[in-house]
Amino acid sequence: MKFKMLLALILLCFVSAVSGFGQSAEEIMALPDSMAMAPPAPPSNVRGVDTDNDHGHSITLTWETSPDDGAGLNNVIGYKVFRAESPDGPFIERALIPSGGTGHIDVGAKEKDANDYLPDHVGFYYKVRAITADSLIYAESEVFGPVQSYGQWFNTGRVPVLVFVIFFLFVTLFFIQKAKGGANLFVRRLAGIEAVDEAIGRATEMGKPILYVLGLGTAADIATIASYTILGRVAKKVAEYQTGLIVPCYDPIVMTVAQETVKASYMDAGRPDAYYEDMVYFVTQSQFAYVAAVNGTMLRERPATNIYMGKFYAESLILAETGALAGSIQISGTDEIAQIPFFVVACDYTLIGEELYAASAYLGREPLLLGSLKAQDYAKAAAIIIAIIGFITMNFGIEAFKHLFYVSN
Amino acid sequence: MSRTMIILLALVAIVFAVSWAAKSASLDDQYDDYISRGFLITLAAFLTLSILSFLYKDNPFYKFAEHLFVGVSAAYWMSLGFWSTIVGNLIPRLSVTLSAFFKVPHIEDEYALYILPDKVSYFIPVVLGILLLMRLSKKAGWISSWPLAFIVGTTAGLNLVRYLRSDFIEQVSSTFVPLLVDWQGTGRFFSDFNLYAYGQFVTMLGNWVIFIGVLCGLVYFFFSKEHKGIFGGASRVGIWVLMITFGASFGYTVMGRISLLVGRLTFLFHDWLELIG
Amino acid sequence: MTGWIPRIIAISGSDIGIIISLVVIGGGLAWLLKQSIKAGDVDRRIVFLFIFISVSVPILFPITFSETATPIVKKLYDRIENLPEGSAVLISFDFDPAMAPEVQPMADAFARHCLAKNHKVIFMSLWATGQSLLSTTLQNVVRPEFPEKIEGVDFANLGYKAGNEGVLNVIVTNFRKMFPTDVNSIPLDSIAVFKKIRSCQDLDLIISIGGGKPGAKEWILFVGDPANVPMGCGVAAVTAPQLYPYYPKQLLGILGGIKGAAEYESELVRHYDRFADVKKPGLRMMGPQTLAHVVIMAFIVLGNISYFVTRRRGKKP
Repeated sequence: MKFKMLLALILLCFVSAVSGFGQSAEEIMALPDSMAMAPPAPPSNVRGVDTDNDHGHSITLTWETSPDDGAGLNNVIGYKVFRAESPDGPFIERALIPSGGTGHIDVGAKEKDANDYLPDHVGFYYKVRAITADSLIYAESEVFGPVQSYGQWFNTGRVPVLVFVIFFLFVTLFFIQKAKGGANLFVRRLAGIEAVDEAIGRATEMGKPILYVLGLGTAADIATIASYTILGRVAKKVAEYQTGLIVPCYDPIVMTVAQETVKASYMDAGRPDAYYEDMVYFVTQSQFAYVAAVNGTMLRERPATNIYMGKFYAESLILAETGALAGSIQISGTDEIAQIPFFVVACDYTLIGEELYAASAYLGREPLLLGSLKAQDYAKAAAIIIAIIGFITMNFGIEAFKHLFYVSN
Repeated sequence: MSRTMIILLALVAIVFAVSWAAKSASLDDQYDDYISRGFLITLAAFLTLSILSFLYKDNPFYKFAEHLFVGVSAAYWMSLGFWSTIVGNLIPRLSVTLSAFFKVPHIEDEYALYILPDKVSYFIPVVLGILLLMRLSKKAGWISSWPLAFIVGTTAGLNLVRYLRSDFIEQVSSTFVPLLVDWQGTGRFFSDFNLYAYGQFVTMLGNWVIFIGVLCGLVYFFFSKEHKGIFGGASRVGIWVLMITFGASFGYTVMGRISLLVGRLTFLFHDWLELIG
Repeated sequence: MTGWIPRIIAISGSDIGIIISLVVIGGGLAWLLKQSIKAGDVDRRIVFLFIFISVSVPILFPITFSETATPIVKKLYDRIENLPEGSAVLISFDFDPAMAPEVQPMADAFARHCLAKNHKVIFMSLWATGQSLLSTTLQNVVRPEFPEKIEGVDFANLGYKAGNEGVLNVIVTNFRKMFPTDVNSIPLDSIAVFKKIRSCQDLDLIISIGGGKPGAKEWILFVGDPANVPMGCGVAAVTAPQLYPYYPKQLLGILGGIKGAAEYESELVRHYDRFADVKKPGLRMMGPQTLAHVVIMAFIVLGNISYFVTRRRGKKP
């Protein structure tokens, strides 16, 4: 047996060497089995369809593997996919798939001048070739075609995203409208607001001012907008108790709005005479220079309470640490997640993320904030319900629910 | 300027000069431009030490280094904005002549709107950009809110869909976790028990923490209901989860900051003083 | 040095480091505890001094610890290891010099691993300052350690492109629209690496290295999820906790801070002999890290002890 195999191998080497001297491929393929590798059975049932949910220029192919792929002669090492514009060719090679493969997505360029441009609405013909280790021994399937590619207007794989977008937009607009109409939307009282009230009381007892920092955000940041409302509340209390208020600002536009807010609060409290413009002042728009200035104020004025509300970045810890050293009570709130840990460590009370918005909505009852907050609550409720249902179905081995949330590209 | 300050300045100047000379001498056999290299390394070391001196107390060296940094970075970003956005992205698409002038390869019109003549579509961002600069004028400042509205609008639209998919749908469906992971009976459970995170027990515990943590965290941020009873309990668990997260985050930050210090000290010891190999 | 006396004297640099650190830090902390109980407050500069000693001594006298890769790192390593040869891997340098000591070791390690596995690597940057750090990796790692790899054939350098998420939004469907040429002004069509790569959807793996915005999160939002491309990331420690929710579904693995880098390096050294002698900044940094952490933990404990002791003393009279 071994001897026979050796002989066959030597013969094979010989034949392949000779084939270089004039024998054509067809002749080699016609050689008896004992002398060369037998060609495998061809792949069958080649089918092509336009690829779903795309912008066109792509055709999805499927086929059944050759019976000699992984079984039978077991000599198939892969498949080559060929494409042509007519059933007679010329065929061009499009892909090489390892053995066992039963499909390929033939994606071409959509630009006309690109090398592999694949036009839409043009019939194409495909064939699949099972290849062996010997490049001259292969088997080809029947030609399939014509098949055309075209683009779809709607990607059904993204339906879950659409559903949620519509849901959120609807809920948000609905609640903003409702809040504008004066509906009484319930927002629970937050412990942070009580902390603010207490801190103002303490400042009054000590006869020391309150320092209010609006952060580094611009006037358009939601955190800054939320901060104005809280500043309004603080200013009103301060006016009532006749305590001092210091508001150093980073952004000139923020400063202008803050001045208006504080002024309005003093009016509300019936003490417009106690208001003076320098309560709210501009410092600088350089991050660390601003911090240095505010730190200086903290150490000189020794405010009883420091309130940090708005957008904060790397300066959060420096501010809060200095304030703690100065012995002030500190209350902070920001939606910058990365900065919250520093505030939590160095402040007496911290409004975490959305609590800042909630505090503002609770105090200001501003329809836009209140409506969005309500909408977010509903979104959270939806998330909780979906998570629970998903969790239960998952544990009972029902996969269907999970598939509802599958988004394809 | 006080006398001590003058002495200190002189001292620093001497140390700087000596370091420059010594550094240049040590780089002599490696580089042709050893004098400028020696200067740059010495300058970098001086600036590093100036900034670190703030830990002792605020001083003129720190202020100098800080102002230098602020000034240099402002100028750097400005020139970079011009070269990468205007020369890098706009000019190659706008005009063949300008591309040749700035020596950037010209790009064929690929965003042609078909209804508009060639290249016209690129003038839309140019106009919006100029409108944005109207901010500098006091009278016409209001015009800048138009391009700003465009930016805010497109960003919001783009982000809404992306965030909804990646941060909502994918994240919520990530909480659909099995309670019992590959449960293979108590015998297997005890024999396979280990403290690594890939242990069966720990995976299961992780799934529980994810599920309960997500739910309780959401409950904590639910503002439409008073936190009393079961709801209050869940919200208390939620705040615990949050605090543990912040603790982990804080710990990670400490590690990050120490790494940066190691980076700076390695520069001082290796590149400047050559104490280590 | 064979005699018994030299053998006792012959202590390595690492031993010196450990001994000095233990003596200085241990003694110092004991003194500090006494002081803090006696006087209450301790000057913060003393804390800085301790951190300085605990960090600098292990740099001067290197102390190394062995690392084992945690699953979150190992999974990313395994993915690169198991991708078939010639897979397309994109490494994005989304960081600046301020973050470099933490994340550059990761970038180097990823570049080494991918090239050693004969993957086709595409380098790019969403940060202007990232481009020069990308050149640093090419200069210090790719060219000297892989002289046989040819730019354009085995790896490509797209450089930096302004536009943040906008860039991602375009390359998710077409690279050539955003990058008509590579960093050397060679058209993408004439670069072999890009022969079969039209968009990010044709990539086998994307790795974002960074810690700011735009960074790994933007890659997930704008490319990873919409194009269903597997993603991994190496991030500065500060950002790492915010990326954990994306693991393991949207991120195959995360290298968080220098610990992640050290774990990856150790995994590389374990499997590849050729990397035994290359610089391993991640592993080297773990010595100072460990010591600094011990000191910080000691401070927390001491602070609490002195707090409780002084409080009790305050209550007594």
